[in-house]
Amino acid sequence: MTLNLDSKIPSGPLTEKWAKHKFEMKRVNPANKRKFTVIVVGTGLAGGSAAATLAELGYNVLSFCIQDSPRRAHSIAAQGGINAAKNYPNDGDSVKNLFYDTIKGGDYRAREANVYRLAEVSNNIIDQMVAQGVPFAREYGGYLDNRSFGGAQVSRTFYARGQTGQQLLLGAYSGMMKMVAKGKIKQYNRREMMDLVTINGKARGIIVRNLLTGELERYAADAVLLCTGGYGNVFYLSTNAQVSNGSAAWRCYKRGAAFANPCFTQIHPTCIPVHGDYQSKLTLMSESLRNDGRVWVPKKEGDTRKPADIPDEDRDYYLERVYPSFGNLAPRDVSSRQAKFRCDEGKGVGSTKMAVYLDFRDAIKRDGRDTIAGKYGNLFEMYERITGDDPYKTPMMIYPAVHYTMGGLWVDYNLQSTIPGLHVLGEANFSDHGANRLGASALMQGLADGYFVIPYTLSNYLASTPLEKVTTEDNAFKDAEQAVMLQTSKILGINGKRTVSDFHKELGHIMWENVGMSRNEAGLKNAIDGIRKLREEFWHDVNVPGDTGNFNLELHKATRVADYLELGELMALDALERRESCGGHFREEFQTPDNEAKRDDENFTHAAVWEYTGQNSSPIRHQEELKFENVQLATRSYK
Amino acid sequence: MASTENMTLNLKIWRQKNATTEGKLVDYRVENVSPDMSFLEMIDVLNDQLVRKGEDPIAFDHDCREGICGMCSMAIDGKAHGGFKNTTTCQVHMRHYKNGDNIVVEPFRASAFPVIKDLTVDRSAMDKVMAAGGYVTANTGNAPDGNAMLIPKPIADEAMDAAACIGCGACVASCPNGSGMLFMSSKISQLALLPQGQPESPRRALNMVYTHDSLGFGNCSTHAECEATCPKGISIEHIARANREYMKAAFTYHEKKRSEGGA
Amino acid sequence: MMTSAVNHYFGSSIGRKHLVAITGLLLCGFLVSHLLGNLLLLVGPDAFNLYSYKLFALGGLLYVIEAGLALVFLVHMYLAVRLNIENMRSRGKYAMKKRTGRGTTLMSATMPYTGLVLLVFLILHLMNLKFGTVYTTVVDGTEMRDIYKTTMEYFANPVSVGWYVFAMFCAAFHTAHGFSSAFQSLGLNHGKYFGKIKIIGYLYAIVVGGGFAFVSVWAYMKGV
Repeated sequence: MTLNLDSKIPSGPLTEKWAKHKFEMKRVNPANKRKFTVIVVGTGLAGGSAAATLAELGYNVLSFCIQDSPRRAHSIAAQGGINAAKNYPNDGDSVKNLFYDTIKGGDYRAREANVYRLAEVSNNIIDQMVAQGVPFAREYGGYLDNRSFGGAQVSRTFYARGQTGQQLLLGAYSGMMKMVAKGKIKQYNRREMMDLVTINGKARGIIVRNLLTGELERYAADAVLLCTGGYGNVFYLSTNAQVSNGSAAWRCYKRGAAFANPCFTQIHPTCIPVHGDYQSKLTLMSESLRNDGRVWVPKKEGDTRKPADIPDEDRDYYLERVYPSFGNLAPRDVSSRQAKFRCDEGKGVGSTKMAVYLDFRDAIKRDGRDTIAGKYGNLFEMYERITGDDPYKTPMMIYPAVHYTMGGLWVDYNLQSTIPGLHVLGEANFSDHGANRLGASALMQGLADGYFVIPYTLSNYLASTPLEKVTTEDNAFKDAEQAVMLQTSKILGINGKRTVSDFHKELGHIMWENVGMSRNEAGLKNAIDGIRKLREEFWHDVNVPGDTGNFNLELHKATRVADYLELGELMALDALERRESCGGHFREEFQTPDNEAKRDDENFTHAAVWEYTGQNSSPIRHQEELKFENVQLATRSYK
Repeated sequence: MASTENMTLNLKIWRQKNATTEGKLVDYRVENVSPDMSFLEMIDVLNDQLVRKGEDPIAFDHDCREGICGMCSMAIDGKAHGGFKNTTTCQVHMRHYKNGDNIVVEPFRASAFPVIKDLTVDRSAMDKVMAAGGYVTANTGNAPDGNAMLIPKPIADEAMDAAACIGCGACVASCPNGSGMLFMSSKISQLALLPQGQPESPRRALNMVYTHDSLGFGNCSTHAECEATCPKGISIEHIARANREYMKAAFTYHEKKRSEGGA
Repeated sequence: MMTSAVNHYFGSSIGRKHLVAITGLLLCGFLVSHLLGNLLLLVGPDAFNLYSYKLFALGGLLYVIEAGLALVFLVHMYLAVRLNIENMRSRGKYAMKKRTGRGTTLMSATMPYTGLVLLVFLILHLMNLKFGTVYTTVVDGTEMRDIYKTTMEYFANPVSVGWYVFAMFCAAFHTAHGFSSAFQSLGLNHGKYFGKIKIIGYLYAIVVGGGFAFVSVWAYMKGV
């Protein structure tokens, strides 16, 4: 089988591509739209906005979410904000600028055309969300307020306190609920996608597990949109929600959807550090804190003085020292790595010595406590609730944690995967962030895909593809359901000794140590071996009590971990094959003398696209060459 | 009150096989609980013990574990989310308890929230209230510029106070009347404050109240227990605003049936 | 449902709460006028009897007022009972229930009970006083009912005074929550002045409840 990696990027100048494409794409006439059914899996920003918009257009939407309500998707946890090129602050921003920052932030490993389109529609997103009633922060004059974010030298981030993701998601959710009331969206809650059903090479349905009853259910449609987020939980500890998982995407991969750049993982620099073995998740402290907080460690190794007792001359404000022009607002990958370097040097703080300070002393002195409380009050409270420390009095302790996965299912310019009819939106796809995502860009991408890209490109697909009638009685559905049942009974039949969490924690440890912030050949090879052994052990020794016929939470976890045990290996393999450093992917063998990532543009200006070839054979690595016609590839410098 | 040593706790946890069977409180003992653990992590540890013994772990809803998704829902010692100020269950840390404490854990209870299993309840009634009008009908694509309508900062801030609702249902679970008024009114109030919400404000109030009432939620009698329990500290002022909006709508809103035909 | 918005209003939780609030505030007003009348006891028998006589002199109008007042009472009671029955059905049944201590107060939690006490009180009150023993007296040459005597006789009994004081305590409790809650129900809660309304509500409860109780104790002390 040859993989079709035609990116379908429209011809013509960069600035005209999307407009031209919109004009050229086929449309479905309004009366015919009601004849099509579209499955949307996931109700985060991408899924929610897509479901609402497609239903508004007249399509019949079947929407699935894993939680008890679509409003709980993990987009809700995004704190800091959403970027747009409005240039309201008059600081020289433009679509081109946002495009350029995103390409550069992604270390030149994203598609120019996709990123430009993202920047182009960013302004529409703000308008749309304001119209939905999202209470963005305002100035006294009534105008929208902006703040700055890592990796940018303009203030282009719109925000709603520290709850921007929540407000945007509730906006999308409310749009969905409106269409649920109109009967155009059928909402299915507490359902987990277990498999994709393809008929005649096209995605035509899904198998889901009803998490409450344990029953498998079949749903047929004319197209499937996968909006299931990222796979950061492969690391066990991450800022992701407990139920965020990579299984839906992984099952699609095994059905023939290619997986691109699986090793591109974002490690977020400002999270609350790990404090114990029992820990179930890491909590992010918004990057916006770096606008006013200063990051430092003691200059002396093993300095045990209280932070307040350490005078400025004994403090190393290392981000300001190493990157004088961006300072504390250096991009995430760079800041995370610097924190790791300091801790590796033995200058880490806190009981585990795996933390650095984020200090608001100077900001409070400069602007007053009230101003700082106005900006970050809720984050400070959250920090105090979790750690018991008051950040107004003592600096926060932070450490990097897995936050986002830039890699994902490969999609073309139309967001279609290598399986016709399977479209992938938001974090689940790989398209816009390259090797590193800038802060406040995930919300932008999810909503861009759902609101302003898929309505056009999906119509084009439906209008130009012959779609025979299918029902859930088709053999393809029966076979897929059978396969899921087999896997389930296999897991339940093992009756081993170790719990699912045991395996997940061990996998997470292997991943964090070897496929985390810094990677090397030996470690990656070790990781691949280790994961294989662990997978073997899982299938012989996992203990999942209960049966399929009820709300069996251990079983749900087990099927996800079974997939992580395969996905983790692909991530390590991809990291091993990418013999360069770029963005969040830092290979120790490839660095500049001052420890910055060293790209190899000659050999690696491409997306690595993996094709599944079967349970017992190695996946094939394909390449989609990235052509840069509008930006000059340069060494990323934030100095 | 803060503990620094590891502790042993005696728990009584509500176990109920499914919606139709009777449930009861079952005793459990958890040892070596670190004060830095979150309450849910303590239950994770207990569940881990249960699974190792081949027993059915305790089913409870949880997801983001950072207090924003609204999924976690248990009542600790008779109080929704444990009754701490501005705190969800997932953000309750064990440092609030001390060695030897007896803790009772139950599901959120209200007629509108039937128990599904153990500590898991069905809160779909809240989605139904939202579907009845908790939105601005602004179809994608026709929005004017974000700055086209100016919104004074205090108004935007107040709307944000209301919009902070995470839909967890603690207001219902803590209300002596099982009322969903704080939940419902936070949306009515948010959209009534903003100019974007104005055009359909009366319709929204009428439909949401009607739906709220028909789903088995109780009536508000201004105990303000909801406000005290709300993890986002939403004020009952928003209930007052919803009452106002509703009254206005009931006496002024009129919609005639008209044909929209044309050439 | 849209077309019958006004009908729905009276069936809805909020509409009914509005009516409870309006009738409650009317009753609060009635209590004030009643208390002012009672204070005439302190002035002396003639003043009190004359006040009563002038009220009865209204004739037909008085019956209209009384009927209106009775209606307000009945609506208030009927809706409150109905709301409470609904609320009992809606509330969650906890094996263990505690409050945060920052919301529900003793006043708010006991509304149905203090309300019931007031209902019983009202019936007895009408029986003992309005429909109690009828004496006559002559003031300024006019013969009239000596309601002063009926009242003072009633209050001469320590059991009556005890019950009366208890009932007034309940009235204070009831209005301490009810007064500000009515404003909230009517949508008149606003951060800028709601704190003040609450204080006024408490003052009202103390002054009115205390006022009635004071008059009864004063009457007892004075003796027949």
